[in-house]
Amino acid sequence: MAVITFEGVRKSFGHNGGGFLALEKIDLTIADKEFVAIVGPSGCGKTTCMRMVAGFEFPTAGTVNVDGHRVTGPGPNRAVVFQQFALFPWKTVSENIALGLRNKGVEKLEREKRVHQAVELMGLEGYEGAFPHQLSGGMQQRVAIARAYVLEPDVLLMDEPFGALDAQTRTTMQEELVRIARRNPRTVLFITHAVEEAVYLADRVVIMTRRPGRIKEVIDIRSVRTAEKWDKYERIEDVMDLESFVHWRTHIWRSLREEKSGQDR
Amino acid sequence: MKRRYAIGFLTIATLAIFWFLATGPLALISPGRFPSPPDVWASLKQVSTKGYANGLLYQHVLHSLKLVALGFVVAIGTGVPLGLLMGWSRRAEAIINPVFSIIRPIPPLAWIPLAILWLGLGDAAKVMVIWFAAFVPSVINSFTGVRRIEPYVIEAARMLGTPRWRFVREVLIPAAAPLIFTGMRLSLQASWTTLVAAELVGALYGLGRILNVAQQDIYPGMIFVGMACVAILGWATTRLLAEVETRSLPWIQMARA
Repeated sequence: MAVITFEGVRKSFGHNGGGFLALEKIDLTIADKEFVAIVGPSGCGKTTCMRMVAGFEFPTAGTVNVDGHRVTGPGPNRAVVFQQFALFPWKTVSENIALGLRNKGVEKLEREKRVHQAVELMGLEGYEGAFPHQLSGGMQQRVAIARAYVLEPDVLLMDEPFGALDAQTRTTMQEELVRIARRNPRTVLFITHAVEEAVYLADRVVIMTRRPGRIKEVIDIRSVRTAEKWDKYERIEDVMDLESFVHWRTHIWRSLREEKSGQDR
Repeated sequence: MKRRYAIGFLTIATLAIFWFLATGPLALISPGRFPSPPDVWASLKQVSTKGYANGLLYQHVLHSLKLVALGFVVAIGTGVPLGLLMGWSRRAEAIINPVFSIIRPIPPLAWIPLAILWLGLGDAAKVMVIWFAAFVPSVINSFTGVRRIEPYVIEAARMLGTPRWRFVREVLIPAAAPLIFTGMRLSLQASWTTLVAAELVGALYGLGRILNVAQQDIYPGMIFVGMACVAILGWATTRLLAEVETRSLPWIQMARA
């Protein structure tokens, strides 16, 4: 079980006039095993939302709870996948994946088994002994996802995980993520600025306003997905062709554009 | 790569031939000011077999090498941890930095009189001066190495629940390692510079002692031998350190390849 709740969250950075308000009146509940994507104009504080669940930042007012417990710091029950991968360059692929298990005190044999499973899940066979620098960006992000998944975390936090990848790799990774999420569901908070990605992956999409970020709209994609049977299509482009997909993608686009044009004025 | 070595070799060979001709057959330079190759050879033979300035060449070399090694180890043994600590903890930096900032601009050689006053002409004074000179680059570079770690790497380690000592060993030190090695290399150079200077001022053995006595004896050939020994040892120890670096940081070699 892992329910994430934001209650009246406000977050400001800096102080004494030099600061700014990043987030205001954030109220959101993410159900167990639900996949929620947050989209919003850049600088709207969507990454800050994720960082508060991770325990890297703390709200200025209000509370962020995971399973009813206030978040007081980072921990392996809330695994993070970073946009910059954040692998340890001096550790091999399997050492990177194994570190969290070692920290948990998992026995060596059990550890090796689980690392192997994670390697298989992410299609990293044959690269166990490689250093991150020897891998492409897509492969590096696979390692980072494996490093997060191997912990069997209650919550998976992903901060624009595919933002640094080229378009093709990105698509493959999105399809893989859907495959993994269906097989092995977790509570996922997924931060992105890519609208298609959000609609394709998420059960619910949260649209945020420009700074100070507030929740503008929450869209239930899961009911659309079920009603329109998106899951029978294996390929992302087939889903993206569906009328229901196009409808919601355009809806979210418009909503975001309103925010952006407001920002420019 | 081979071409570069060949060019380097040619340059040195040309210089050597010029040296030989200028001091010998062409008589462009007075041997009283600049020794000829045979002079240097004779001096080398003298100090190796009969001895000079209280000892044989190998005794001087070993003595200097021992002091450099000792001073270097003490310097990096204190400097690297101090730099890492200052890099990691803002509080430690706030406490240590003022003292460090006062000591840092003092030229290391300015410590020599005090060191001799406190510890005499023996080894301890030299180790102390080397320490003061050589620990500064290790501190600064280790400090910078920690400060330059990408914040998300630290966050990843925290997210994985990495306990403190494992974090230091497996994240902090390897992340800072390239700059730690840069600091150690500069510390090694500082060790040699300072040792020779300290031995020049006052010593019973060592390469600086050879240089000092040779200067008083107005003996250019021997001065050359002393300088050449320092150059060779400095080069060899730097190579050794570079080798240690290559072996300790395999992931960096991979990244370059």
